[in-house]
Amino acid sequence: MRRLLRSGDIALMVLLMLPLAAALPRLGGFGGPPELWLTWVGRVAGILGLAMMLLAAAVSLRLPGFDRPFGGLARLWRLHHWLGFGAFIMVMVHALALGLAAVPVSLDAAVATLFPPLSHGATWLGWLAWLAMVIFLAPTFAFFGQPHYQRWKRLHLVSAAALLLGLWHAFLLVAGTALWWLLGLAGLGAIVWRKLVSPRLARHPYRVEAVERLARGVVELVLRPESRRMAFEAGQFVYLTPLDETLSAGRGEEHPYTIASATSDDCLRIGIKDLGDASHALQTVTLGSRVLIEGPYGEFYGRRFPERDQLWIGGGIGITPFVGGARDIAERGLTNGRVHLFYLANSPDRAYYREELERIAEAHASFAFTQHYSRERGRLDEAYLREHCPDFTEREIYICGPPAMNAHLQRLLTGQGIPASRIHSEVFDFL
Amino acid sequence: MTIQRIAYSAFVAFLASLLTLVSVSALSSSDRDESADDDLDPITLEALAEHDGAESCWKAIHGRVYDITDYLPNHPTAEEVILEWCGRDATEGWDNKRPGVPHSPRAESRLESYLVGRLAEKDGQSARRDDTAEKPGEAVADTARALSPAEDERLHRAMLGLPLDGRYRGVFGDGGEMQVSVQFDLRDGRLSSISFRHLAYRGVDYLVLEEDDAFYPVRVQYAQIAERLEGEPMTRIFALYEPERIVDDVDSFSGATLRGNKVISAIRNGLNRGVYSWP
Repeated sequence: MRRLLRSGDIALMVLLMLPLAAALPRLGGFGGPPELWLTWVGRVAGILGLAMMLLAAAVSLRLPGFDRPFGGLARLWRLHHWLGFGAFIMVMVHALALGLAAVPVSLDAAVATLFPPLSHGATWLGWLAWLAMVIFLAPTFAFFGQPHYQRWKRLHLVSAAALLLGLWHAFLLVAGTALWWLLGLAGLGAIVWRKLVSPRLARHPYRVEAVERLARGVVELVLRPESRRMAFEAGQFVYLTPLDETLSAGRGEEHPYTIASATSDDCLRIGIKDLGDASHALQTVTLGSRVLIEGPYGEFYGRRFPERDQLWIGGGIGITPFVGGARDIAERGLTNGRVHLFYLANSPDRAYYREELERIAEAHASFAFTQHYSRERGRLDEAYLREHCPDFTEREIYICGPPAMNAHLQRLLTGQGIPASRIHSEVFDFL
Repeated sequence: MTIQRIAYSAFVAFLASLLTLVSVSALSSSDRDESADDDLDPITLEALAEHDGAESCWKAIHGRVYDITDYLPNHPTAEEVILEWCGRDATEGWDNKRPGVPHSPRAESRLESYLVGRLAEKDGQSARRDDTAEKPGEAVADTARALSPAEDERLHRAMLGLPLDGRYRGVFGDGGEMQVSVQFDLRDGRLSSISFRHLAYRGVDYLVLEEDDAFYPVRVQYAQIAERLEGEPMTRIFALYEPERIVDDVDSFSGATLRGNKVISAIRNGLNRGVYSWP
């Protein structure tokens, strides 16, 4: 967990506050009778809500490198999620506060404020924007159960309509529009890039050179670039779009996968576990077929305490970023201090990559490897950690694995007095 | 998970609040109907102009007058902008918060709470002339309310049975036919713009007679009546009991006689009917 602010966060906050700061002198004071402060609250909520909405769209820009000032794409996505959530709440506060502000005049006035004659188009544009928001956010916030990933992604495009309607609503009602133009262009520009430009420009063609079966339901794809190879850092991930026409599912759909190859490897190696329709189909992808790769993203091995040794804990398919890290050590023969990797698996047949990791550990003194089987020893506990890595509480810790394991380890480690700022983990969910 | 629950709860709460607001508004019978303009105190432009500053700021907007003195400190716009409109008709400013952008329905609702009266113009007419032009009767009623009984001259004339200024139309009919239809204006008790809309006797339409027609001289005499009563006091019509006092060549050659009585009767009929249209 990274609690500290990143430079990107500060830029976001400044952009978020700009429209409000510009509008505040016109909004009058916060005090006075309820109708006045409610009006103030309503307007401030409206300004913040629209700014959040536009910024949420702006940070959805998936440009390699753009995510780094925000601490990686996973964290940027969380910011996006929170901005969207904030916008949704603010928009409702906006409408309700302005409606309630008219109640002291009369109930009819309050209703007329919220639902004026159709000739007051600006208000109705606001309602349409809200409706569009409900449509694309309802599945995000699982109002009606968990949605299907690709359907959710398509529905999320309604956000562009919400953005346009919201901006239009504001343009009709506010005095200074320069800042809204700026934020609006940033938000809409990001959507245009994501949906129209980047699929054509930012995807690198690769060919499937090998499909290595690691265990039941787990393969490693070896991908060779058709043109220039992509530069990346250990632990980063890419969006992979298979074009193989024989695939039973997921053809032409992009999904995020972690890179498991060393940074110097000419080929891109990606470990894929059968977790859904698309990853299931990829288990039998045709050799020689094409895939498109977009990336790299993320900042898995971001260092906050470079002087400390590292503890890596990977579980299940979450071992892949550590495989990439270990292979990097093997290729380049160096680390920043010492690294100890714990691999948590159910049983030996689920411990794919184990042999390779053991070989690397034997060859490199700075890299230690410990295998842990939960079927034999139960969940990883403090005693096991201390037994194999006595100074684990002093290290900078990286975790990757299923959510339950992640939560268990967070509790275990913070329970040992390790500050949250020293524990890093990237949680993938709807990236 | 938590964030999803919060979002969903907020969504439901929002819908519930809207629904409550709308239904409570629909179910509660509104005591406060829009005050009818007729019940409002008339305020002249002169009276309005006295309240032209921050210490007392009245504004006329769409024919109604509002005392927004108390609201001034709370208005978001710079004070000099809003003070500029005090003491006069501020409809233009109201309809153009920014060029082309009127104030919101909410602002309109709030404005109604500062209502003090309706705008009356100098001549006592209501400021909302658009819907009074076609209905002179209502205009009289409006005006009667608009002015004090101590200063309403029309009221005074009506109370004394004096005819009001305006345009009149009257007819004389006999023997089953309309013989004279006359239109005239009254200005300060004097006649003007007299014209005959119909003149006939025993099936002969005098208005279409040719010069060589036997009855044509009578038609000329009627024209003389109209011409010679122009600018005369109302009471002068009674001279027509002896038409020769007004017109020339009575009975000169035709044997057809002008009956001045008919004109007197038609004019008095017009007066009895009352004002046909206002000047």
